[in-house]
Amino acid sequence: MDIIVENAATPAGDPVAVLKLEGELDASSYVELIERARELTQAGASRLLLDLSGLLYMGSAGLFALHSVAMLLRGQAPPDPELGYGALHDAEDLDETISELKLLNPQAQVDRVLERTGMKRFFEVHTDRSTALAAF
Amino acid sequence: MMSAMGDVPALAGQAQRLEIQADVGQLAAVRAFVRDGAASLGAPPRAVGDLVQAVDESVANIILHGYRAGPGQVIVEVGRAGPKLVVRLLDNAPAFDPTALPAPDLSLPLLRRRPGGLGVFLVRELTDEVHYRRTAQGNELTLVKSCFDDEEEG
Repeated sequence: MDIIVENAATPAGDPVAVLKLEGELDASSYVELIERARELTQAGASRLLLDLSGLLYMGSAGLFALHSVAMLLRGQAPPDPELGYGALHDAEDLDETISELKLLNPQAQVDRVLERTGMKRFFEVHTDRSTALAAF
Repeated sequence: MMSAMGDVPALAGQAQRLEIQADVGQLAAVRAFVRDGAASLGAPPRAVGDLVQAVDESVANIILHGYRAGPGQVIVEVGRAGPKLVVRLLDNAPAFDPTALPAPDLSLPLLRRRPGGLGVFLVRELTDEVHYRRTAQGNELTLVKSCFDDEEEG
């Protein structure tokens, strides 16, 4: 999977990092997404838009990555996938919707996975980039 | 939805077979093998897509949880048993029964959930039957999608 990062902005001028995912997001590649999001959040990014139009496949490892990226945007440490989830504890005062992370143009298979697993409750899914940027 | 009841469908002798090293870098090859094999049997595209994902999730679990990311082999067989599209996964890892794992609580807010656990959920959602058995040779996981008309059996 390739990840192309582009700097964009909301209509009000607030920065948004757009990550275009190309290829297949599976158990061999999901760590790349988490690490790229970690670099961006450590550099100050607080809004991420994932452009999924070039993503041909997403497995549950990709859902794990989305979950981890959401945690990073909330200032939480995601679990180390190598170590398991034992150290994870509940955070407080969390909204249901993760407004800092939005999804753009998932293809059919990816869309079905998001739907089946209830992830669409937590992430806005947009089909138009301008609309997505304006929704932050 | 998954059903672990009933007999494990017997694969006919012409099942296609792929052996891989237990490495997540092999998952793309596994998906391609299942996609091509199921398509060559004439399975409908939607059923093929569902089974490809169920196999991807299952093989990733074998590699990461069965072999614990250590060395090993996984054999993938694709075939047809009457109206059923069948994939059989064989490995020599310690006993690992994904059908025994609890389902995740999808009603919880995302950040109150523990990440992970959705792979086995998806396997159950995307297949019509899942059978696990421990044999003298190791683990045997059979994933079934009922997607052929009986009249087409042959």
